Amino acid sequence: MSLHSFTKMCLYDYYLVMDIRAIESRSQLMKAMRKWFSHHDYLEVDTPIVSADLIPEPTIQNFSTRLISEFLGEKELYLVPSPEVFMKKIIAATHRSVYQFSHCFRNSEQIGDYHNPEFTMLEYYTVDVDEQDSIEITERLFAQTALPSTVDSLLPPFRRMTVAEACKRYAGVDLDAVQSMNKIREAAISLGLQLPSAPERWEDTFNRIFLNFVEPNLPQDKPLVLEDYPVQIECLAKRKENSPYKRRWELYAHNVELANCYAEETDATVIRQYYEEQYRLLCAERANTAKVIPDIDPFFADMFEQNYPKCSGVALGFDRLLMLQMGRKNLRGVILFPLSDIIS
Amino acid sequence: MIKAGQIDKGTALLIKGQPFICVEREFVNPGKGSAFVRLKLKSPSTGQTLRETMKTQDNAEDITVEDRDCQYLYNDGENFHFMLTETYEQIEIPMTSFEDYQYIMKDGETYRVTFWEHTPLDIQVPAKVIFTVEEAEEAIKGDTVTGATKMVTTETGLKVKVPIFIKQGEKILVNTETKEYLERVNK
Repeated sequence: MSLHSFTKMCLYDYYLVMDIRAIESRSQLMKAMRKWFSHHDYLEVDTPIVSADLIPEPTIQNFSTRLISEFLGEKELYLVPSPEVFMKKIIAATHRSVYQFSHCFRNSEQIGDYHNPEFTMLEYYTVDVDEQDSIEITERLFAQTALPSTVDSLLPPFRRMTVAEACKRYAGVDLDAVQSMNKIREAAISLGLQLPSAPERWEDTFNRIFLNFVEPNLPQDKPLVLEDYPVQIECLAKRKENSPYKRRWELYAHNVELANCYAEETDATVIRQYYEEQYRLLCAERANTAKVIPDIDPFFADMFEQNYPKCSGVALGFDRLLMLQMGRKNLRGVILFPLSDIIS
Repeated sequence: MIKAGQIDKGTALLIKGQPFICVEREFVNPGKGSAFVRLKLKSPSTGQTLRETMKTQDNAEDITVEDRDCQYLYNDGENFHFMLTETYEQIEIPMTSFEDYQYIMKDGETYRVTFWEHTPLDIQVPAKVIFTVEEAEEAIKGDTVTGATKMVTTETGLKVKVPIFIKQGEKILVNTETKEYLERVNK
């Protein structure tokens, strides 16, 4: 048998064991969601996955690729970790609610039950609403588009709990009282956590407590909206007035992190400051490593100077939602060509 | 010392003086946070399970281990019995620490066993193993809803989902971690 026909036979076997139900379910759920968004007057957009600049996010590693052109020269380009950088420009231009299914890329993430370096994100921004409205919008979206196989614990009404309530309940930590680095360190040590002797950021110690004691114990009988994240975790969500928390929530279902939502920051000064600080942090952490340091757009904040609409955006891991609605335990089969198969 | 991010399935660690083997590792990237790794560790001698969530940059104490060839003899429902091929010494390893291995290992075959000093910590099974199909249900004609697959049982008792054209007596290559069919092996 020639090598070619041998390879072909193996591929043929491979396709036979491909998960046909997953292929069909993906199509079915996408179709239902598109119909829902269209019915609610959202504009579907289709933005590039390659960009010359990204929003600086020090904790997300990037993929880069190289443009080689006789006319344009050579330039480093980046695969988007989320379509936010483009979608916010479309909102500035149209003042409309928008959504898209976008392929997103996050480098250095190990391939596991819930992770693949390339994944599908459903991102939707609704104008003239805040993060509280986004909870109801997401509840309606879930209720009206779910696959027939979806179990009740994945359907609305969502439970709601603040991060502070969850920390109190499951770790016995009063978040309001541990706002300083020393205090949160003390709290972590009294819970029996081992901390490195070198100083670390407040949010790292917070995440040690959160991941060891809080997240594994979150209720799973209904989807859970965990709201009001500490301001120490930097992001482009608005800050709650007179409070150390941000207007941001994350949605958990069956203990899987499914979506992230902000009341979007639209103050150009705050965004400019975020860009400067986070980019400095990103460059410092990645200097002298093989990690990609993406370019940023120095004028990104300028578009918020003039009449940028109030809006709230939700980024939802589409593959994970599909996995849960199909009753699967991991993304194998749900993501049709996982990277582990592509590179093996 | 190693970084927690480098810990993989099978890595041996010393925790409070006790040897543990990593049996599960899931990467977590909490919303807008640094990379963490969630580990499930097992003590092969006691079967005790530990769950730890560490930053990938944290240090962990790894231990120097040694691999030795061991012939798998049988299991008595509680322990796997092996013989060190070098010394003919017989050893027992509790089955609870190695779920499913009874369906993967073949009597008489030689496997690499990881030792820390004299304590066996881990049994290494190949990532892909060829099995013989011992029982195969008849394919139901026209059943394409499940992607044209059926269940078969191997000589070791492992149940595997395979394409419908696989028959009893044929050899198949299986991924031992996911227990998934990879391809038919033609001899």
